[in-house]
Amino acid sequence: MKKIILSIFSIIFCSTAIVAQNDRNETLINAEKNGWEYEIRAGINIGGASPLPLPVEIRSIDSYKPRFNGSLEGAVTRWLGDKKIWGVSTGIRLEVKGMHTGATVKNYSTEIVDLDSKVAGYWTGYVNTKYSSSFLTVPIMANYRLNKQWKFRTGMYVSYRLDGDFSGYVTNGYLRQGTPVGEKVEFKDGKQGTYDFSDNLRKLHTGAQIGASWQAYSHFNLNADLTWGLNDIFKSNFKTVTFNMYPIYLNVGFGYKF
Amino acid sequence: MGACCLSSCIRQEALNSEADITTCKISSDILLRDPVITNNKVTLYVNDGTDLSNLSPQFTLTDGATISPASGTALNFNTPQNYTVTSQDGKWKKQYTVECTFANPVTEYHFEDVKYFTDPSDDSGGKKQYYQIFNNLAFDGSSFEWGSGNGGFMITHSDAAATDYPTCQDDNGYIGKCAKLTTCSTGQLGAMFGAPIAAGNLFIGTFEINLIDMAKSTHFGVPFHYIPKELVGYYTYKAGDKYTDKSNNEVVGKKDNFDIYAIFYEVTSDVQYLDGTNSLTSNNIVSIARITDKKETDTWTRFVIPFQLRTGKTIDPVKLKNGQYNISIIMSSSIDGATFNGAVGSTLRVDEMQLFYESGNN
Repeated sequence: MKKIILSIFSIIFCSTAIVAQNDRNETLINAEKNGWEYEIRAGINIGGASPLPLPVEIRSIDSYKPRFNGSLEGAVTRWLGDKKIWGVSTGIRLEVKGMHTGATVKNYSTEIVDLDSKVAGYWTGYVNTKYSSSFLTVPIMANYRLNKQWKFRTGMYVSYRLDGDFSGYVTNGYLRQGTPVGEKVEFKDGKQGTYDFSDNLRKLHTGAQIGASWQAYSHFNLNADLTWGLNDIFKSNFKTVTFNMYPIYLNVGFGYKF
Repeated sequence: MGACCLSSCIRQEALNSEADITTCKISSDILLRDPVITNNKVTLYVNDGTDLSNLSPQFTLTDGATISPASGTALNFNTPQNYTVTSQDGKWKKQYTVECTFANPVTEYHFEDVKYFTDPSDDSGGKKQYYQIFNNLAFDGSSFEWGSGNGGFMITHSDAAATDYPTCQDDNGYIGKCAKLTTCSTGQLGAMFGAPIAAGNLFIGTFEINLIDMAKSTHFGVPFHYIPKELVGYYTYKAGDKYTDKSNNEVVGKKDNFDIYAIFYEVTSDVQYLDGTNSLTSNNIVSIARITDKKETDTWTRFVIPFQLRTGKTIDPVKLKNGQYNISIIMSSSIDGATFNGAVGSTLRVDEMQLFYESGNN
């Protein structure tokens, strides 16, 4: 998925450069007069999927890497009225949300089920998590134009997950089997237990989005948007991870306005 | 950025939920061995003739946990005593049995009596029976329990029926019931822990899981005051169809086999017990009885295995009297099961076994 997005990125870079040098055609000029605005945006997502608030079981976050999460969006805005101060926009966005974290937990309840076998208990120790999902996202936003340079927007989005990975390992710790007073199973000296919950990721997400654009040149904008997922990243019937994790990402990038 | 934000939200640490006895101390002149502490039992191997009616063991516990009766309370250990450890957060309790044992283990094994591993703190409140533990009553009234790797199998198969565990009782014994050892698959999750199969095993000793080196999970041996001579019993054996290695790859043409052996070894300050890594090789071993005439058979077949002194080894009568030797009997449905080589389905049945011995005074 990442490869596809990267290649689309490079195509867009080249084509926008070519387009920028051509004069805009009549259709676009007329459309703009009628309040239509078309934009292509490229950016990166920085953030993570996190429980809110952090559960008491998490004792420390030992490492965090945002990974490279690209996004690419085609957006259309319809500015309303004569003054064209207010507008509505929508679009379609191809994006990756991911993270790579290491955390230390204490007495964290877990249950891993696989066909006829099951590991249930309380884990104390290190947990390494890799999360990455690619989404097709449709935002619906209200827009406000402060002046020629600044635009602000807020709204909702719906995302459909195209693929995803949620996996990792546990080490340097121990599992108490079943309950905190159950048999103690130690994982030390590099012994790891791996997990992969990729099949349990939710397909459809909704969330809130708030953002702003600053017009740097006549056709180039700088954009920043905060997206806040309202759904747990996992299916609701998935109980292994006992707390809900919400994707919270800041998207920064630039846009080309036609 | 995300990390800073998240770190600042780390909440105050919760109180401990665990309730372990971590050490047990008692006047050391009565002890033959270091106390053996498992998740719910403390075994104290004591010298013959010790007065058990007024002992005051002292315990250390998980931080913040409490014990009742209190550490240091004088109790009569002619019968095993029960203690309850309560976790720091008060939500979890664990029962421990503390038992004193003389070095007179049972030497006749009928495999008629089993008890079940239960967990009083689980959802069923201790009613759920996980797996079977073969149980013998020793001459001195204490119970003698066979060790097995069932506790390891339980990690991934806590919902399995007791009769689906690698080691369990079977109705079709030579006389009455018998012990049945089966090499089982541990499924996807077992493979995840690097242990694709679990051989059925049964031994004199305790099992304390060690994931780094599974063969070290089995702690073989109990004190023994006599000179072992012969191990006699009956077996049936069926090898499983497909032999696999520890990566779960088939080894074509290789046939599984079982193992039955007994070891008699000296306990020294640095070697308190032998485990799966050195149970046949340790320099502390004085004599070994190991089955050599093995075959696949579904009719009960008698075996008589003599103990053979290892070259250059003798049995010191003084050490024997002082309880400085251990004995263990070890059986497995896959001879290389400790390293996860074997065939799923290999089944060893054992019944009516007896350890013959003579007194060191003769």
